[in-house]
Amino acid sequence: MRKSTKWMSVALAGALTVSLAACGSDSKDNETNTSNGGSTTETPKAENVTITFQNIYPDPSTPAAKILDKIVKQYEAEHTNVKIELDSLNTDQQKAKLKTQAASKEVPDITIVNPAAQMKDYVDAGLFAPLNDMLDKNGLKDTFQEGILNWYSFNDNVYALPDGNNVAVMFYNKKLFADAGIAAPPTTFEELLADVKILKDKGITPMVMGEKDTWTGSFLFMNILLRTNGPGFLQSVVDGSKNFSDPAFTEAVDAFQQLVQAGAFQDGATSMDYNAAENLFKTGKSAMYFMGSWATGAIDQSTIGPDAGVFKFPTVNGKGNTDEYMLAPGSAFAISANSKHVEATKDFLNYFMLQFPKVSFDEKNAVTLAQKVDGDFAAAGYSPLQMEVAGIKGAVKGGDLSFDNTMNPATSQVHLTSIQNLFVQKVDSASVGKEHQTAYDSNK
Amino acid sequence: MNALKVPARTIALFVLPCLLLYVCLVFVPIFYSMYTSTFDWNGIGVKKYIGLDNYVNILYHDKVFWPAVKHTLLFAVFSMLEIPVALLIATLLNRYVRKPNFFVSAYFVPVILSVVIIGQLWKTIYNPASLGGMINQTLDSLGLHSWTHSWLTEPDIAMYALYFVALWQYLGYHLLIQFTGISNIPTEIYEAAKIDGAEGFKADWHITFPLVVPIFKISIILAFIGSLQSFDMIMVMTGGGPAHATDVIATHMYNMSFASSKFGYGSAIAIILVIVCLVATVIINTAFNKLEKKIG
Repeated sequence: MRKSTKWMSVALAGALTVSLAACGSDSKDNETNTSNGGSTTETPKAENVTITFQNIYPDPSTPAAKILDKIVKQYEAEHTNVKIELDSLNTDQQKAKLKTQAASKEVPDITIVNPAAQMKDYVDAGLFAPLNDMLDKNGLKDTFQEGILNWYSFNDNVYALPDGNNVAVMFYNKKLFADAGIAAPPTTFEELLADVKILKDKGITPMVMGEKDTWTGSFLFMNILLRTNGPGFLQSVVDGSKNFSDPAFTEAVDAFQQLVQAGAFQDGATSMDYNAAENLFKTGKSAMYFMGSWATGAIDQSTIGPDAGVFKFPTVNGKGNTDEYMLAPGSAFAISANSKHVEATKDFLNYFMLQFPKVSFDEKNAVTLAQKVDGDFAAAGYSPLQMEVAGIKGAVKGGDLSFDNTMNPATSQVHLTSIQNLFVQKVDSASVGKEHQTAYDSNK
Repeated sequence: MNALKVPARTIALFVLPCLLLYVCLVFVPIFYSMYTSTFDWNGIGVKKYIGLDNYVNILYHDKVFWPAVKHTLLFAVFSMLEIPVALLIATLLNRYVRKPNFFVSAYFVPVILSVVIIGQLWKTIYNPASLGGMINQTLDSLGLHSWTHSWLTEPDIAMYALYFVALWQYLGYHLLIQFTGISNIPTEIYEAAKIDGAEGFKADWHITFPLVVPIFKISIILAFIGSLQSFDMIMVMTGGGPAHATDVIATHMYNMSFASSKFGYGSAIAIILVIVCLVATVIINTAFNKLEKKIG
């Protein structure tokens, strides 16, 4: 008897220790349901709600983060029962985190996705709530530019709302161009190559590229392909009417290699990340920078802001229409289908997107929005650079999405590496095409 | 040695929490990876069972995998070759330096620095001269312009540039282990040997080295496994590029899982890595046990 009580106490102690230390089962706290005071007759609206808002604006000094913060504060002030919890990460971290969360079906109430191919897997897995009903509320749908929501629609349902609508442009430093004696930005690829040579001879780095993040080089390459082929090359590969050994594709590879061989890019481009490369341009260490128009605000506010200009990507071998651009529909806000508060979250996002253009306009960050903006940019004091970009955006005559927004991730990855390789060695363009085709065929 | 007189089952109970944690954090993920490695799965949607196809593809059709294995193993070899050097320095420090602790601490500093900081630091050192890279600028000023390289972006050199940083960082770590091992050898043994006429290198050969073998073994295993798992420094410095030239098994696994969205495939690579680690540990252990017996 005595022995058995001792045994029991040991067992109890052990069990306690185990329950304290064992892994798993993190109890979801019911913070969201702590009703204030016993009044059971309260309308459901007054229920306290916490909405997790995963976003990619971690740097509080950027306009995007300021805009987000402002609207969130505004909403919380008007809806005292709602608390918005921000989960701000940089782009790559957010991508990895969302994938991990998606694997265990724990997507945050609001998250961020990229358009088309990059969000398809999530939509197919039923992780996002359709937003059609919410778009019809308060006329939100009409604030979006025509056609932009198509990039986020599957089976007639809209699953995400974009924060921007960008095109790829070539930013350039007017002062460095003048120093090198170049009168006007190039309009043909030959002129571009000639300018590269002139700049290089003057000891100026012609172009910067953050090619450690492989999408940057691909973005430029795809713009060349857009000129040699016209829009829709990847689509015709998917349709089966073309393949990667097409002359338009190999011509683009050759043109790209000409640029590399001419020494257009800074030394060590493949180990430099996106931010470092952009900083080289923003500190006047390079004459040109090929990037999406989302960089406009940051460049505008940098030290070379007054000297910065943009030009359209030139024609290649006399081909292409310079009013066709690499299109970059922005990253977009999606709502988790498994959210505990789908309606409340929709309500918030509806408010957020309605406020977005106005607040962005005030923060001087509205040229690249996906929504219509009421207001006169020039009158509001937007800089010449911003006005130039606004002008370009107003004259866009179609174009293509980036490679990784069009093709599945596995094929994209092969493509991105293949283009990165062009920076470090000369490759037969036919073999580049073959590599692409093999990757596409084996990952269909 | 049952001084505590505690029944075995009580011991078992108190070991249990730790054991459970260990099982949850180590074995469950490994077995789960084994399970997912038999699927064609993007990590989000529906899993499709494909048996061992992932393994077949990795071993026979993956153009990145075998070079990555080569890079990893070469790294392991270099790391292990570093241990004798660490042992030698430790011996010298022990014998000729009056206050060796200062040197050991100094060598140890890189180990406690974050890998990200080390990566950024060496990236700057390796930079092209035009961007202020220290090595290239020094070479230039010595008139050795032909020796300058874009260290991290030339496919033939980049991997070695990375090895060097890792070896540099971990020299202090192994030095500390070896140094401690040597310090623990009782001085009486050396005194006795001195009377017998064995001094200096002779004493090291017959006393220090044999007695430090168990410590040496630990270092070797740590170095080997550490280099098989190398990941963070490469991600920071090159991301596996240019064009896979610096991919190792772990970075390839990460890229496949997260960039290419092939989680099943990534899991299969992870399982292969686990197997390689296990086999290698067993081999090294057996080899050293034999060696110890032979010397002992």
